[in-house]
Amino acid sequence: MSKVFRSRIHTSLADENLQAALDANAERRLKVRKEAFASLPEPEDKRRHAHEIRKQVIEHLDEYLEQFTSRARQNGMIIHQAVDAEQAISIIVEIASKQQAELIAKSKTMVSEEIGLNHALGELGLEVVETDLGEYIVQLRGEPPSHIITPAVHLRRADVSRLFEEKLGLPYTEDIGKMTDAARRKLRQVFLNADIGISGVNFGVAETGTICLVTNEGNGRMVTTIPRVHIALMGIERIVPTLDDLSLMLSLLPRSATGQKLSVYTSLINGPRRGEDPDGPVERHIVLIDNGRRSTRNSGLQEILYCIRCGACLNACPVFREIGGHAYVSREGKSSPYPGPIGSVVSPALFGQLQFGHLARASSLCGACREACPVDIDLPKLLLRVRAGMHTGENPASRKPNAPKPLGSGLRLFTLAATSPRLFTIAQRLAGFAGSLLSPLYKGDYWIRLPKISGWGYSKDFPSPAKQSFRSRYFDTQQKVGEINRTSHLGQDPMASQETQQEILRIPTLMGAERFAAELTALGGIFIDCKPEQVAQEVIQVLKSKGINQLLAWNETCLPPGVLKGLVDAGVEVSYPEAATLEPNSLIIAGLTGASIGIAETGSIVVTGSAGRPLSASLLPEVHIALLWEKDMVENLEQALHNEEIKRLPASVIISGPSRTADIEMTLTIGVHGPGELVVICIREK
Amino acid sequence: MADTIQLFITCIIDTFYPEVGEAVVSVLQKAGVHVSFPPGQTCCGQPAFNAGLRREARKMAMQTICAFEDYPGPVVIPSGSCASMLRHSYAEIFQDDPEWQHRAADLAKRSYELSEFLVDVLGITDLGASFAGKLTYHSSCHLLRGLGVDRQPRALLTKVRNAEFIELPDTADCCGFGGVFSVEHAEISTAMLKRKLKNIDTSGASIVVSCDAGCVTNINGGLHRVGMNQRAVHIAEVLDQE
Repeated sequence: MSKVFRSRIHTSLADENLQAALDANAERRLKVRKEAFASLPEPEDKRRHAHEIRKQVIEHLDEYLEQFTSRARQNGMIIHQAVDAEQAISIIVEIASKQQAELIAKSKTMVSEEIGLNHALGELGLEVVETDLGEYIVQLRGEPPSHIITPAVHLRRADVSRLFEEKLGLPYTEDIGKMTDAARRKLRQVFLNADIGISGVNFGVAETGTICLVTNEGNGRMVTTIPRVHIALMGIERIVPTLDDLSLMLSLLPRSATGQKLSVYTSLINGPRRGEDPDGPVERHIVLIDNGRRSTRNSGLQEILYCIRCGACLNACPVFREIGGHAYVSREGKSSPYPGPIGSVVSPALFGQLQFGHLARASSLCGACREACPVDIDLPKLLLRVRAGMHTGENPASRKPNAPKPLGSGLRLFTLAATSPRLFTIAQRLAGFAGSLLSPLYKGDYWIRLPKISGWGYSKDFPSPAKQSFRSRYFDTQQKVGEINRTSHLGQDPMASQETQQEILRIPTLMGAERFAAELTALGGIFIDCKPEQVAQEVIQVLKSKGINQLLAWNETCLPPGVLKGLVDAGVEVSYPEAATLEPNSLIIAGLTGASIGIAETGSIVVTGSAGRPLSASLLPEVHIALLWEKDMVENLEQALHNEEIKRLPASVIISGPSRTADIEMTLTIGVHGPGELVVICIREK
Repeated sequence: MADTIQLFITCIIDTFYPEVGEAVVSVLQKAGVHVSFPPGQTCCGQPAFNAGLRREARKMAMQTICAFEDYPGPVVIPSGSCASMLRHSYAEIFQDDPEWQHRAADLAKRSYELSEFLVDVLGITDLGASFAGKLTYHSSCHLLRGLGVDRQPRALLTKVRNAEFIELPDTADCCGFGGVFSVEHAEISTAMLKRKLKNIDTSGASIVVSCDAGCVTNINGGLHRVGMNQRAVHIAEVLDQE
């Protein structure tokens, strides 16, 4: 047992502020996750299927990686391979120095925490700014994230407000909206001035070479759209074979992570800006990072690589709920970027059993983590393998359990006794005798007060062993136990009449545009439907209601005919966001775009970027108005991902409602980096 | 002649709670089966397995397999976690040993947790038990998530006459036992147990029923230390009340 770990545990348990934050996190996250899964048909089948897909990928990892990298190269991505943290950092440093970069905007990537990127780049004099609100907060505080999804989960609003007061000069406020707005303003300048954007990768699709990134605030879109160079950091295990598989994973990841059917922004990126494209980075790099993954793949801990980093096991874990993410430290007190059940396996697997193996012992093996895992990773089994030292060597003889010495010795002695029923019986008699000897000390009480150091005595009393064990009483009285003649029920159908009526799944009756409208509205978006000739009128209405007279818009050839003309005729100032005019345009508060597809099931729209269709028009303004033809409506994500444009164009995004965050006290705040308002005008031809 | 089951009493009940063991026998007899007690049994090996001591766990598993191999018929275990050990963990222990894996699988196939056996195999939910008081039920982790057993003990408890059944808030939350965890990480275990005790208090029940003597020991140890009057009991004790 690590002393530092023990002391962190004590600190966490005594920290009332942290305890309140962790309780709120667990309660809220478990509730929304449950609600989100209620809307998913056959969730158990999907979970098993997802497990099989991840298993397939990890077992054939090199083949899939080969397919992924060759497709991505064809798409114009620059691929780098890093075996460890050091190499990954030097690759990134080289790109940065070639670009003469000074400012780097970063969206949340756990693998960058893993390789210590911010620290390394900072040492070289580069300014790296975290742009996820939670990450931004912990960066300002100079501490690591405490949760893989909600980095500032350990803080209350007052902590954040005092921090912003000190670092940003924001007057103290309890209003989370005001704090978010302050961060938005500050970070907007970072996005616009950054030389490089660094992001993580949620999934890499082998068949198309696409990288997929899910975010809610819009910072992930910013760093992959605005700076002229984008570097995506990707753990080599993040592969899914096909877009269909991606669709399955996307039905599970946001539900498990934040209780959403889809995250607000699902970015699908194939390559850098091409010829006539109005925006997007001119260079996109993917850095594939091994850092212990291949050796984990060849160990008994292979299954941990199935993880899709949703954080559900952290939220479900009763131990995480007590101690929080910062308590998960190495023997030397170094924080692991991956806390909770997943971290207690990943950390020893990637960073060494010796430093992190003790974390796996801090689990009651209750199985809540496995139950919450969307890809059904048998976490208790893996925690037990870490305890058994199964990652320490190929040779079973060299594997050493990491049990504390007294416990190991005690259990070896117990095993010696318990592998002989005779010795076991004697040991029971001795225990019973010892119990009766101790009994007078406790005034004949049945309960023994063991010393604190025993562990058990810390907070619990211990029952006296029985003077006569069950087996001894059983054999003594065996003759006296008469046989009761009753009809045997053996052989009956075990399940007959015992099944309780399964709760019938509520099947949504709405379909198409009606379903879309309901889902979008539930996300806080606005749905308007109209005839083709009324589109300009509807847009003007929206603008008027908000007192807006300026608009950032797609090229008129990319919008329904006559719309732009109608707007201009009505006196709306329309501009087209070219690279050179991006910055001044960021002051324009409304953007008008088309939408390639509507997804009824989640109320999402797919927006693709290409010539005449700048993605920034759907990202920079505060109000995003999207024009969607009803004929482009599909029922679900899987159908949407079959769209050819998504495979062909450099970048697309699936937008599900207005930009949002819940990084401060899990309080939902709308409008972070992306638009705070989303209006979808659905055009019906009949 | 009734069918015979092999009772695996588990080391905790054997050593600490012989009266619970006798209640298990009585309940099984009321359910119409003949109870046999293979004498070679000791402990399933879970403490060593949970501590990471695979070699010792393997010895214990072999001991247990041998103890039951010559005794045909269902093996009934009044513990969710020991039953889960036999059903799932033996396969893990013998993953590189096909011969023992096969023998372990043979045992796993005929092993049942007590309430699971009564309800699913025998089809019995009413054992004629009667208990005047307020009962609540703690879902033990390995029983619930390891074996998927939940409706069975509930079905048995709701048939207990004169008893008022109350749902325990957050019943599926771990009580903080976790075997060696409770001594290695006493501080965390304590924090988890505190929540359980609070929920027991909130429920208003006087008796907390569990299908695992480990949870019973943990919860009672905590209740006694803080001076609460509620008690945790093994399900067999309730089902044996007349």
